[in-house]
Amino acid sequence: MNWQWFHRLGSPRWFYQKTSVLLPWLTFFTLAILLVGSVWGLAFAPADFKQGNSYRIIFLHVPAAFLSLAGYYVMAIAGAVGLIWRMKLAFVVMRSAAVIGAALTFLALISGAIWGKPTWGSWWVWDARITSMLVLFFLYLGVIALQEAYQSETTANNTSAILTLVGTVNIPIIYKSVDWWFTLHQPATLKLTQASTIHPSMLYPLLTMVVGFYLFYALALILYTRAEILKRECRTKWVAELCGVDVNNKISRA
Amino acid sequence: MSNTKFYLPAPSAAAGFVAMLNRDLLLSYRHKGELANPLIFFLMVITMVPLGISPDPQFLASLAPGMIWVVALLASLLSMDVLFRSDFDDGSLEQLLISPQPLYFMVLAKVLAHWMVTGLPLTLAAPLLGVMLALPEGGYMPLCLTLLVGTASLSLIGAVGAALTVALRKGGLLLSLIIMPLYIPILIFGASAVSNAIDGFAIMGQLAILGAFAAVAIVLAPIAAAGALRVAING
Amino acid sequence: MHPKRKQRLFLVLFVVVFASVAIGLMLFALRENINLFYPPSKIVSGDVPLNTTIRAGGCVVPGSVQRSKTNLDVAFMITDGNAEVEVLYNGILPDLFSEGEAAVVSGKVNERRVIEATQVLAKHDESYMPPEVAEAVSDAEPGATEADEQGKDHQASCEGMNYES
Repeated sequence: MNWQWFHRLGSPRWFYQKTSVLLPWLTFFTLAILLVGSVWGLAFAPADFKQGNSYRIIFLHVPAAFLSLAGYYVMAIAGAVGLIWRMKLAFVVMRSAAVIGAALTFLALISGAIWGKPTWGSWWVWDARITSMLVLFFLYLGVIALQEAYQSETTANNTSAILTLVGTVNIPIIYKSVDWWFTLHQPATLKLTQASTIHPSMLYPLLTMVVGFYLFYALALILYTRAEILKRECRTKWVAELCGVDVNNKISRA
Repeated sequence: MSNTKFYLPAPSAAAGFVAMLNRDLLLSYRHKGELANPLIFFLMVITMVPLGISPDPQFLASLAPGMIWVVALLASLLSMDVLFRSDFDDGSLEQLLISPQPLYFMVLAKVLAHWMVTGLPLTLAAPLLGVMLALPEGGYMPLCLTLLVGTASLSLIGAVGAALTVALRKGGLLLSLIIMPLYIPILIFGASAVSNAIDGFAIMGQLAILGAFAAVAIVLAPIAAAGALRVAING
Repeated sequence: MHPKRKQRLFLVLFVVVFASVAIGLMLFALRENINLFYPPSKIVSGDVPLNTTIRAGGCVVPGSVQRSKTNLDVAFMITDGNAEVEVLYNGILPDLFSEGEAAVVSGKVNERRVIEATQVLAKHDESYMPPEVAEAVSDAEPGATEADEQGKDHQASCEGMNYES
């Protein structure tokens, strides 16, 4: 197997140049699919027989919730790659994934609260899934806080990667225990059957939105990573050239 | 170390473990004042509860299992910050890192010493606080048992956080931030086991789960903490 | 043996021992029913401790709810499709409680294998569908003909369950 592509990934410059080509296409598809999904979901999908129109926030809430969890694994994999192969780019990706993941988790929590008001009659309910989401949000915040706390970039990278991996081991345990705690306290929503049904007329726009959100996540991750690369590599020659600074002139003046 | 010609034969891991444990216990014994701090904190917060909420015994009784567990967790967390701090400041942590002993057991010994001077006294003091919060009859034994097993996991997980923040001047609050989410499963099973026991349910299952958490933490937490200590020293 | 290798062996043994302890305890905990939640068939077959508080869940058998004329006593049957258990309760039932619906009760099982419930909770389901589909579903369901408007809404959770067995 050819591992060259993998080692190339170690170069932030290579990543930056490759994604420059990809970016316009990705932006176009993301916007197109999100637009189709939201118009389909918000305007054309039928209203729910019980919740009426208020269920439509599902098209925002569910994809955001999906990605907030998937984002943690993106962050964990990036952290592990960074720790094992000492790859600079992986740490940059981890940093970006932490911020975007925290934002998406927050979006899922807020949209859940807005949805909860008309359906449950309360902004906040200590439901198992909401509580696990909140804990996930705390885990993201912890990783970001640890990264911010260190002056040295290497130490910040390595410590937050270790914390991310510790969190990864813990996430299934936290989910299971919150679920168990919830069933013990309020068995009213206990699942007797695993029947979670949604009609196809609502499912397809939802799936479109999920795909759109995945693309959006990729787009946001790439954009944030590129910005972070420029910030971290601002003293290198290629960034200076990119910004149109005459490197030789600068050196001669210095 | 081992490729130089003149090296002393490394003592066995068990001997190193015992030496480290003795050293840390002796250090805490020499600072008797600090030893009592988590306990006093535990006692004071529990005193605040009836003052702040209600002195009604029936109400306090329903609150007691969770409240004692939460405060024990906080007391253990607040004492966590000092675990590696002084060793980091005086350079003995660097010596530990280059010593021929596996760092895993060194961390484990330090955590065990920490648990013996915080988790164990908290467990022993818990029945007294149970009386103050009117904990019902059947709750005392389960409270002690769950705290005994649970505080061990708290110390182990807390050690990872302490190692991650040891190189920071002001790591205390950050340590709480990154570690508290990881404490949630232990709190859930510990507190609910006590309230279940009061309601007359069997708690062997929950105790077994707490035990399993502790066993997993014994295996994994020292690895993560050792890795974090290496990062803290080497950058 | 080289002391370094001996140390490593010790470490590996240590990890293996504690990992197996964790697995053993987990298996033990899974065998213990920590949820304290039993399906009716377990109660009928006698796998449930008598006179200790447990929780049971199942569908309320249509036509089985009998209310007392004078007080709040109510008796009904719950089923998991394999067995039925009688539940006695004194109190006000939740709004969402109705026949053919899922319910969770907590209480003690007495010698006659009857649950003397101290609490009854109704389950709310997670189905999303347009109103016309909901009507179609409840029309196709012969058991739901006498169900009121609320019953239709929650039919999905107990769908496909054979009450006759």
